[in-house]
Amino acid sequence: TVNVDKLVNFAVIKGKVVDENGAPLPGVSISVKGTSGGTVTDASGNFTLNAPDNATLVFSFIGYQSQEVAVGGRTTISVKMNPSAKGLNEVVVTALGISKDQKKLGYAVSTVNGDALNKAKETNVALSLQGRVAGLSVGSSNGGPGSSARVLLRGLTSFTAGSPLYVINGVPMDNTQRGASGEWGGADYGDGISNINPDDIESMTVLKGQSASALYGSRAVNGVILITTKSGKKNSAFGVEFNTNIQFDKPVDNTDFQQVYGQGILNAAGVAAKPTSLNEARNSGSLAWGTKMDGSMVPQIDGKDHPYSPVSNYIDFYRTAPSFTNTAVFSGGGKESTFRLSLSDLRANSMVPNSYLDRKTFNFNGSQQVTSKLNVNVVANYVLENSKNRSGLSDGPGNPNNVQFLAPNQDQATLAPGVTPDGKELTFTDDSYVTNPYFAANYFQKNTQRSRLISALSAKYDFTNWLYLQGRVGYDVSNDKRIDIEPTGTGYRGDNGTMRQANAQITEFNTDILLNAKHSLVKDLLNVDFTAGGNIRKSNADGTFIEGQGGFIIPYFYSLTNFGSRNSGPSTDLITNKQVNSAYYSADFSIKDYLVLSTTGRYDYYSTIAKSVGPGIFSPSVSGSFIFSELHKMDGVDLGKVRLSFAQTSNDAAAYSNSVYYNLNNAINGVPTAGFSSQLPNLFLKPFTLKEVEAGLEMKFWGDRLGFDLTLFSRKTNNEIINGNLDWSTGYTNRYIGTGSTQNKGIEFEIHGTPVRSTSGFSWTPSFNFTYVKNKILQTDGVTNDNINFGRFRPSAANGLAITALVAGLPGPQILAADYKRDASGNIVFDSNGLPQTGNLIPMGSTIPKIYGGLNNTFNYKQFNLGFLVDYRFGNKVLSATEQASIFRGLNKLTLNGRETGVVGVGVTESGTPNTVSVPAQTYYQALARNVYTVDVLDGSFIKLRQITFGYTFNAAFLRGTPFSSIGVSAVGRNLWTIMKHTKNIDPESGFSNDVRYAGIEGGSLPFARTYGLNVNFKFKN
Amino acid sequence: CTKNFEAINTDPNKTTGNLINPNYFLSQSQITFSQTGYDQLLFQSEWMQSLASTFSYYYNGDKYVFGGAGSGYFSYPWNRTYSALTLIVEMQALIKDKPEYTNLNACATILRVMEVQRLTDLYGDVPYSEAGLAKSGNFTPKYDAQQAIYADMLAQLDAATAALDASKVGPTADLFYKGDVSKWKRLGYSMMLKLGMRLVKVDPATAKTYAEKAFAGGTMSSIADDAKVMADPANATSSNSDVMRTPDDFREVRWGKTLIDYMKSKNDPRIPAIAEIAIGNGLAANQNQTAGDNTASLQQGMPNGYTISSIANAPGYPGATPAASATDAPAPLGKYSRPRFQVYADRGSANYIYTYGESELLLAEAASRGWNTGVAATHFANALTADMKTLAGYNATPIATVSDAAIATYVAANPLNPATALQQINLEYWVTTSATFNYNETFANWRRSGFPVLTPVVFPGQYITGQVPRRMPYPTSQLQQNGANYNAAVQRQGADNFATRVWWDK
Repeated sequence: TVNVDKLVNFAVIKGKVVDENGAPLPGVSISVKGTSGGTVTDASGNFTLNAPDNATLVFSFIGYQSQEVAVGGRTTISVKMNPSAKGLNEVVVTALGISKDQKKLGYAVSTVNGDALNKAKETNVALSLQGRVAGLSVGSSNGGPGSSARVLLRGLTSFTAGSPLYVINGVPMDNTQRGASGEWGGADYGDGISNINPDDIESMTVLKGQSASALYGSRAVNGVILITTKSGKKNSAFGVEFNTNIQFDKPVDNTDFQQVYGQGILNAAGVAAKPTSLNEARNSGSLAWGTKMDGSMVPQIDGKDHPYSPVSNYIDFYRTAPSFTNTAVFSGGGKESTFRLSLSDLRANSMVPNSYLDRKTFNFNGSQQVTSKLNVNVVANYVLENSKNRSGLSDGPGNPNNVQFLAPNQDQATLAPGVTPDGKELTFTDDSYVTNPYFAANYFQKNTQRSRLISALSAKYDFTNWLYLQGRVGYDVSNDKRIDIEPTGTGYRGDNGTMRQANAQITEFNTDILLNAKHSLVKDLLNVDFTAGGNIRKSNADGTFIEGQGGFIIPYFYSLTNFGSRNSGPSTDLITNKQVNSAYYSADFSIKDYLVLSTTGRYDYYSTIAKSVGPGIFSPSVSGSFIFSELHKMDGVDLGKVRLSFAQTSNDAAAYSNSVYYNLNNAINGVPTAGFSSQLPNLFLKPFTLKEVEAGLEMKFWGDRLGFDLTLFSRKTNNEIINGNLDWSTGYTNRYIGTGSTQNKGIEFEIHGTPVRSTSGFSWTPSFNFTYVKNKILQTDGVTNDNINFGRFRPSAANGLAITALVAGLPGPQILAADYKRDASGNIVFDSNGLPQTGNLIPMGSTIPKIYGGLNNTFNYKQFNLGFLVDYRFGNKVLSATEQASIFRGLNKLTLNGRETGVVGVGVTESGTPNTVSVPAQTYYQALARNVYTVDVLDGSFIKLRQITFGYTFNAAFLRGTPFSSIGVSAVGRNLWTIMKHTKNIDPESGFSNDVRYAGIEGGSLPFARTYGLNVNFKFKN
Repeated sequence: CTKNFEAINTDPNKTTGNLINPNYFLSQSQITFSQTGYDQLLFQSEWMQSLASTFSYYYNGDKYVFGGAGSGYFSYPWNRTYSALTLIVEMQALIKDKPEYTNLNACATILRVMEVQRLTDLYGDVPYSEAGLAKSGNFTPKYDAQQAIYADMLAQLDAATAALDASKVGPTADLFYKGDVSKWKRLGYSMMLKLGMRLVKVDPATAKTYAEKAFAGGTMSSIADDAKVMADPANATSSNSDVMRTPDDFREVRWGKTLIDYMKSKNDPRIPAIAEIAIGNGLAANQNQTAGDNTASLQQGMPNGYTISSIANAPGYPGATPAASATDAPAPLGKYSRPRFQVYADRGSANYIYTYGESELLLAEAASRGWNTGVAATHFANALTADMKTLAGYNATPIATVSDAAIATYVAANPLNPATALQQINLEYWVTTSATFNYNETFANWRRSGFPVLTPVVFPGQYITGQVPRRMPYPTSQLQQNGANYNAAVQRQGADNFATRVWWDK
């Protein structure tokens, strides 16, 4: 056999690396191209290396351009490195997929690389953006795998603020929320962005301001996130890559409940008592108003006696849930074509037993240079998602998370298996709407299935090197099936249970065309980059449902055939059909290299606006940037730019909202009935407008070893459409009026750098971002400025003593909570029974943080890398149903005061004399929980260690003899450490809905999870 | 390419005024109005001591203490009734000046009067002349004084009953009478009678005028004239049965001691038709949704004002039924009578609004007052017979039946005695409206007549003490949504609480 190594001549090569000023440059890494061999320069910039005499050396160093140098038989090689001025010539994708030189942009954009999203994974990739981008805040519903994300850019943009528009490979994608929980319960049925496989994402670019997103016209109001998926590279060999990821979600008990008094209630004599019979155990529910726990044996719901001692093990109901993601990628490219195909399988288990999400993704990206002028590109992303038993949240029947409120001596295991021997739900309180958690998890079903194709076909024709025409067709179609089953034996049902199936199809079809010309009008002085185009967008949602009537005929047989009658029809609340025709232009004028003026305009014609109101809406933007570092070169300053922009956009109008319609209802014993919406139509509605001014300063120093970007913005909406409340006595419950106005002013700051770069190859690259947003609701309905009620939590759902609302003059959504009744001097007034009473509804603060951001750090040392992300949030409030329930149930430590002696509230009686009435603790605290809600409003600020990844890459030398060219192993963790929080019994991020109306309202969702995992990436040899 | 925008922006599942059949709004208004459920069960049924319960949200009516959503329930009858009313407003706008709809229009007016009467009887001054006009831009309707509302409603009934013409086509989607115009006419006059009789305390002269006018016009003449809607089991349109099928309610809602004691004292043959006791022991049996034991002698009503714990201290407490097994628990309320499951939890049962029997009782009272409405004793006997026979109409297949022989015996044993006529008549009104779960009417007639004489419940933390409530407060949202008009109404009528009496109750 021939030893291949012997056929080349190895030589010892020495050399020195200097920077652009001739100073020695330590820490430069030098690798031998095509191999894994290499070294690093020492403190004097010197290196020594053993390499083949015909090798090519690659010199690379952060902040400098990489250089390739052929050895060519030499033994001494000196190299001068030139600053890469990274970012200076960086090209970013902007609106409509147009690539632009970042340095010339007159507005802020931020890009997050796929690497940051796909090692430590979230099933909904939007949740991974938390803490990474200035101006962007993320919330979730704590609903388990596949739950929706609430992404807000620059605060509560408008009354209807929601997720930004997601544009994938240039085509807007559907992000319809498929159903969320409200105060009455329900599950989170997911959104559109949750379908995307993080492994396929090359980058996400966040267009925060309206100038950046104005080219999306009617859909730009909430900002835009552009997703670019991975593609093959030209002239690359066929590559195979396999990535496997396993993560565990470990439930964390965030409660700090009292451990002194056990289950029980006041007995007939008005004295706290522990249960003495099964019936008393049941009637006292999970109320911890009993006596001091003394270890005696008391009857429990399983019919057995258990020690009256603390167990507090509700968290054991949940499981440490593993998730597995396996992705195989095949890619390659020739001179004329590229392709990339990925196949991915995700199996994410929920911490709630018997609940999981299963997602298979097929992603293909291919391009072909048909002629020297014509390029064709196809992207297709096919998703098959199957979700079993999405957890009930908030209040409500069928919600397993009721388990969080057990008296300290109640063992959650006594509730298992959730059924009695005769197959009925084992109820554990006298309120049958509190479903046994085991019954909810094991017998209820809330299942969804989705098949979805997101595809785009585009062709680009280059007439000359400065003129091209591009056409693109994008089609996003989802077919959903959802099945909800309330099983036989359900405690609150008087029949054998019921089921409902809903099928839906949601499509988004976009056709657009774009003509781009780049030309120099005056040579070396004035350049123009001009784009004009048009778009037709058709979106459609359609669906039907069938539900059983009268309960299953045959118990336990869960089929739609098993009913005496069925109710069925179109899912009218889902069905929409709309079209928007748009024309737009973008023109950039640059004078030399230091002054750029850009303007864009988009005209949208809506099918949803009445003709009488006007043909459509124009969204203009103008921005300018002055790159002063080009005019006056300064030492160490690579980039210095100030920018200023203005834009006006509008939002999307709802279909069918501007005319009077009648609908047929179900016939009653064959007699037809009809009605109409209680929403009063408004024929004159027009989408609201948002105006924004943004100014920024961006600087980069020393080859981008330090850089910052400061942005100031001020934005205001006009004529926001309010779904104003009406009293039924007017004949309607709501009406649309266009009088709302919201203002946001803020600062975004990002700073990054490479403070440490040692000779040994160690580098540290931190970045920090900070956002301050001041929101103010300027006007609501324009006449009386009534509050616009948003969400509420279940304990006070019907009488509105604790709600979130938009209140003119205050930041929204504002928590309004009933205070104690107080006299003129502020003393608490107690009634004649010594109980606190309900006082005024007072504003307690906004549910949206005022200050937020993150600190991201990357450390590299040879083949090791370590990254961690800390994020923080300040100035938001949480309306906590957990707090309310724990006071009402005697679990909160607050309720320990006065257990033995009775509670004498500190305050006065109605007549002004000091209150002296002593009340049993249960009576007092339950009245407190029922009447006073300011005590349930908590500070939601936190600092968290959000993510850690620690990786090692095995190189080719190590892997010689294996089929792999490299193997990367990373240990990953998410949400490992809450560094600071102010809430005692909950995680401050708890919530049950991604809807902004329910932001900051928590209770009855899954516990907080810590995630640990391992990610292994195999790259196969060609 | 914006040509078809109008077509795109047309909801495929809705239609317009040109195509809709306005009759369908009548049927929708009828079914909406007839479904009362919690609107009346949480407060009125227990204020009247017809029902009793120890369960949380029934604290509202049983103990005059807020439970469950408490004051949130004030809005239930308000919202339901106005949502029924808006259908009529819309429909009457659609058929305006269309002679082919004369009868539909008159029927709609009668239904509208029925709806408004329930509202104003419960709350007092309410939006009336300006109600349902959001479409024409009135978002804050003024509250009309109850006196003016009654005057207008009586005038409307006059006109509507006169306009009904049996020779023309009747309403084609009619859940009361299948379009029988002559029955509508009799309902119109019976409504005139009911409105008139509400005024006996405050304006006896007007009461007399209209009672006599109604009698002359021709009131309901048999139980076939009963105004009711048969619920559709396929569409869950009986909210009373929905409540009674709910395990928590079924387990803990019982007939009231006051009612059952009275009926037993009269040997009322309706007891086994409406009441039963769970068969078997323990919680499981008590929750078991099957027929119980309806033997009359076993029936026992539960007193109001007790909790699940304190009920053991109630006078005459029959004791809990013991646990049936080791995993079962005793049922503290197991030996009290509950509304019969097969009757009241039937998803196809009747939603009663106004019966021939009630109409006859009102005529009997008018005649007893010496007004020209026929012979009091005859009307009373008619009413007793009708009230018992009406129960058979509660279910599609009669379950709550009383035999003709038993009826005859009872009628013979209970002749109208002029000295006690008002008491006899109005206690029967209480029994019959309780048996038909028509507690809005029970509550109104009690305030009007003073019968039955009720002892208010005593319990800590009550929203009203020392008396039975006489009014439902306005929905708590009124101050915010219609503040100026709300304040004007409170100024005129008195404090917005449970004690303030409506105009005709002075």
